[in-house]
Amino acid sequence: MKGYALSGLLIAALLASSCKQDTVDSPAVVPPSATPLDLSAPWYFPQMDVPANNPTTVEGVQLGRRLYYDPILSTNGPMAGLSCSSCHAQELGFTVPNSPAGFHNVLPHVNLGWSSNFLWDGQVQGTLEDIMRFEVEEFFAVDVDVLQQHPEYPQRFKNALGNATITQDAVGKALAQWFRSMISSNSRFDQYVRYETTLTPSETNGMLLYLTETGDCFHCHGMPLLSDNGFHNIGLDSVFTGNDQGRFLVTGDPADLGAFKAPTLRNIALTGPYMHDGRFATLEEVIEHYNSGVKHSASLDPIMTKPGKETGLNLTPQQKADLVAFLHTFTDPVFLADTALASPF
Amino acid sequence: MLRRLLPSAFLLALLASGCKKENIDLPTPLPTSTPLLRISHMVDGQPLSQDTLAYTNEAGTPYSVTRLEYYLSELVLLGTGNTANDTLHGPWYVNADGTMDFGLNRLHTGTYSGATLLLGLPPALNTTGALPNTMANLNMAWPDPMGGGYHFIKFEGHFISAGTSSGYAMHIGTDTFLPHCTLPEAFNITSTGGKLLLTFNLNEVFRTPNTYDLATGNYSMGNMGLMTQLQENCADAFTIAYQP
Repeated sequence: MKGYALSGLLIAALLASSCKQDTVDSPAVVPPSATPLDLSAPWYFPQMDVPANNPTTVEGVQLGRRLYYDPILSTNGPMAGLSCSSCHAQELGFTVPNSPAGFHNVLPHVNLGWSSNFLWDGQVQGTLEDIMRFEVEEFFAVDVDVLQQHPEYPQRFKNALGNATITQDAVGKALAQWFRSMISSNSRFDQYVRYETTLTPSETNGMLLYLTETGDCFHCHGMPLLSDNGFHNIGLDSVFTGNDQGRFLVTGDPADLGAFKAPTLRNIALTGPYMHDGRFATLEEVIEHYNSGVKHSASLDPIMTKPGKETGLNLTPQQKADLVAFLHTFTDPVFLADTALASPF
Repeated sequence: MLRRLLPSAFLLALLASGCKKENIDLPTPLPTSTPLLRISHMVDGQPLSQDTLAYTNEAGTPYSVTRLEYYLSELVLLGTGNTANDTLHGPWYVNADGTMDFGLNRLHTGTYSGATLLLGLPPALNTTGALPNTMANLNMAWPDPMGGGYHFIKFEGHFISAGTSSGYAMHIGTDTFLPHCTLPEAFNITSTGGKLLLTFNLNEVFRTPNTYDLATGNYSMGNMGLMTQLQENCADAFTIAYQP
């Protein structure tokens, strides 16, 4: 980790301004009533792509925040009475332990501004606007007439997006702005990278396991987002049926059987149960899967097929404990208690 | 300030490209196009198709490719007498799943006797944080406890050995194992536009000077012997041509 040195910082800072890759859907138009918001992240984070037709503003983020916590989004259908926050509690890293019946284990809402693959199987790919449009139109089936009749929302949409006429697209844009503001970058691990703290011997040993072939976590959960945004079959099963088919259900490619998005490990100590189906209750169980429970299949990720480690990593009890200790350094108490991310109601 | 100017710059770029599209229908000649570096992937003459066990390597092992990501850099175009005539520095990040056309600042017309190329990054760029923090670069990071810098290549897939399917992951990193490639094909660049065509024959990674056997070498990262074999085998894995 010492390689994240000052020289890297300076180079990253110099390059940062040239790395902004706003896409060109249409010219950036910030309504006169809105205040541009510059989202900040540490130097070792990637540049966040923000579509030019949905620039981030204070008013847009605040509107998205209200919508996130307001059950008004789901006045009809099976989600009626629920808000986004019903299944994404801040104190648990914006997830909950019990997913609704018929759904995959709930993924946390954190640092999704850097994601381009959404949901466990990547059913939606693209920008936050794309996934929010899916959530608004298909998951919640938002009735915009209800929002339009609300005493406050039309004015809030006008202030944030320049138009008091509420559309599903506008709801998705406001939510996308809010999600971009949900940044976790103050875990103990982040502080260690920034030379603001030190790790215990056990945590340091765990980090070395994580970042070398002994544990080999880094290929799919690399720094700093702790996810490569890709899909992997990590050997949970050898036969795949139903939702366990994962990415295959989207692509139809047999090579994707049993592959799921690598979730971020930020706040991982708080976001159990684990895996797409919540089959593991604790981090210890997760580590034991990688240690001794890997099941072979034709689509098993090649990274999982090291010679002599075909069924797992063969770690010692101490190594497993060290790895768990290191995973706990990904907990971000600032993010979990940030009042700017809490309910506005 | 720069951030505020960027949208305008992009708008201008958009308008400029829009103008080019409109000009396509006009009878006047197009301006000289931007020169491109175009990468293609072949397996002994077959175009690469990922996720299919369609290929057989030098050791006679059937294999598929599920991931192919790498950097190219320091493309040196050699003039007569094999002296460096022009150097295109890059680096270029290549993902066989994505875009494989890269704009070049320039091409000089002339006769070239061949080229050399790094499959990876020069030492000055192969340090942690040296490349911009794009998702691609971050995912190519070679962890500091293992030497730092970046993966030069990730070449992964599945293979069949003794009737059993297994996975392989051929990763190369650290300066010691940087593959230096020689491309001996002579070519003429006849205009300042056009395309430099680089073709990566994946089966060359498995042959000469070492017959690389996936059954005994399916995982290279951290294995100096295997990375050395791959480094040597990659030296002749690319060919070059020019297309006006």
